Amino acid sequence: MTNPASSTPIIEIQGVHKVFGSGPDRVVALQDVNLTVHAGEFVSIVGPSGCGKSTLLRLISDLLQATQGEIRVNGKTPHQARLDRDYGFVFQAPTLYEWRTVHRNVRLPLEVMQVDRSQWRERVTKMLSMVGLDDFHNHYPWQLSGGMQQRVSIARALVFEPPMLLMDEPFGALDEFTRENMNLELLRIWEQTGKTIVFVTHSIPEAVFLSNRVVVMSPRPGRIASIVPIDLPYPRTFETRESERYFELMTEVRETLKEEFTKAV
Amino acid sequence: MAESVTTAPEQALAGGVLASPRMRKGLTVVGAILAVIVVWEGAIALLDLPEYKLPHILTILQAFVEPTPKGPVYQLLLRDALYTGFEAVAGFAIGGVLGFLLAVLFIHSPLLERGLLPYVIASQTVPIIAVAPMVVVGMGQLGAPPWLSKAIIAAYLTFFPVTINVLRGFVSVERDALNLMRSYAATKAQIFFKLRLPASVPYLFTALKISATASVIGAIIGELPVGSTRGLGVQIVYGSQFNTFNPGFLWATIIAASLLGMAFYGAVSLAERFLVRWRHP
Ligand SMILES: Nc1ncnc2c1ncn2[C@@H]1O[C@H](COP(=O)(O)OP(=O)(O)OP(=O)(O)O)[C@@H](O)[C@H]1O
Ligand SMILES: [Mg+2]
Repeated sequence: MTNPASSTPIIEIQGVHKVFGSGPDRVVALQDVNLTVHAGEFVSIVGPSGCGKSTLLRLISDLLQATQGEIRVNGKTPHQARLDRDYGFVFQAPTLYEWRTVHRNVRLPLEVMQVDRSQWRERVTKMLSMVGLDDFHNHYPWQLSGGMQQRVSIARALVFEPPMLLMDEPFGALDEFTRENMNLELLRIWEQTGKTIVFVTHSIPEAVFLSNRVVVMSPRPGRIASIVPIDLPYPRTFETRESERYFELMTEVRETLKEEFTKAV
Repeated sequence: MAESVTTAPEQALAGGVLASPRMRKGLTVVGAILAVIVVWEGAIALLDLPEYKLPHILTILQAFVEPTPKGPVYQLLLRDALYTGFEAVAGFAIGGVLGFLLAVLFIHSPLLERGLLPYVIASQTVPIIAVAPMVVVGMGQLGAPPWLSKAIIAAYLTFFPVTINVLRGFVSVERDALNLMRSYAATKAQIFFKLRLPASVPYLFTALKISATASVIGAIIGELPVGSTRGLGVQIVYGSQFNTFNPGFLWATIIAASLLGMAFYGAVSLAERFLVRWRHP
């Protein structure tokens, strides 16, 4: 059983609140969120639309600032972690630059981070090959399907080899078949590189299949309802999806979500 | 079932020739020209217009080839069009660069934008026809070459669309496109050159196409005041003064001016097609 997760905390979230707007437009997106992610851990976040999943990722990545509470990333402030390029972010939408070809989109972080030019071609080629887009180096984003665009954005997040990946519904736009393949691929990368991954998804099967732990969130205001540890052995394979324990865990997550949902209504 | 299958010759008859997009485009142009001729000549016939009000198309065509001491009219107009074109291009370049730099300034300093943008907008409400003589005469007295004052007026009309559109291009970048750069801890310069600048290119070309024709008009307006000796503007003044005697000439200069504007517009469109290839067709 390979499970690269350690017990060193790498993301620590304590008593975090996030409020948007003021007056009648005031939205409490997150309320008293506490969560610790350990180095090398794969943590998924599930919850209904609008419960603050994206907001939580943006707080960790310093794209938003918490209204209250404290976040530490790698022992640093999120701001410092961002400056140190500790994480790669995969946005909910592919967010490709339409004037750049696929190849040059994936190359973007290498350019910005001033990685040695001689490595560019090889690293980009490797990443595109990994996401199955060998034949699309010179295509422009509009020439790709939504799923292909999202795969480019994943290649782009991995190409500079960040120790941490923050992924906001990266596979939401993919068909079931591609999605399952990408899941296996992501697990392979994770097990090989020991990255820490925080993964937002709407899919309970996906969350259970991938993660060490599944964080279940509830809406209005966004809170962590419960955290379900997933004790399925790694490496996880197609057989994992057929195991009895897999179904039990999915049911557990689903029940928690349903409970929270009925409470909210 | 068999009846519905058309054979190749039938298809050619039914529209095989018309189906070629190039052919269809050619026919549209021919059709448009024919329509103009019909309306033009029809108006003259119906309203019984004299030549000095609206000359026959043939009169205008004849005016082009009429001989003068300096050669046939079309040669004269070509020379003047090239001169006016030079002034317009110079003004276009000055205005384009200035307009672009203003946009860069504004995007990096919201304070300056709030302070200066109202004046930039106000500048465009000044009737240029009224100001042009002052600029031309004033700059002439300062010893500037005659083409420069015309270029300045062309630049005055050019810079504004560029500033406004490029500014819009700069702010058109989506929030997450910007967040992506922030997640890489990109510098301000990197964000500008790798994101805002390329994102603004289509907007820039929208502006440049407007400015291309505006700069020709600016140069011509600059040539209208007394004292100018060269350019289409001078010929237009001349043509309107002698319109009663030579009604075809004024229209020949007008056509020359509009051809110049169209040529400039076409050149910018061509450049756009080369530089903005990544665009969804
Ligand atoms: N920039 C913002 N300004 C104001 N309100 C915001 C902003 N971003 C998010 N919100 C609000 O915060 C709440 C949580 O939004 P968030 O995008 O985090 O939800 P989510 O869980 O990611 O939803 P989804 O699954 O649909 O992506 C929502 O009610 C949303 O309206
Ligand atoms: Mg979201």
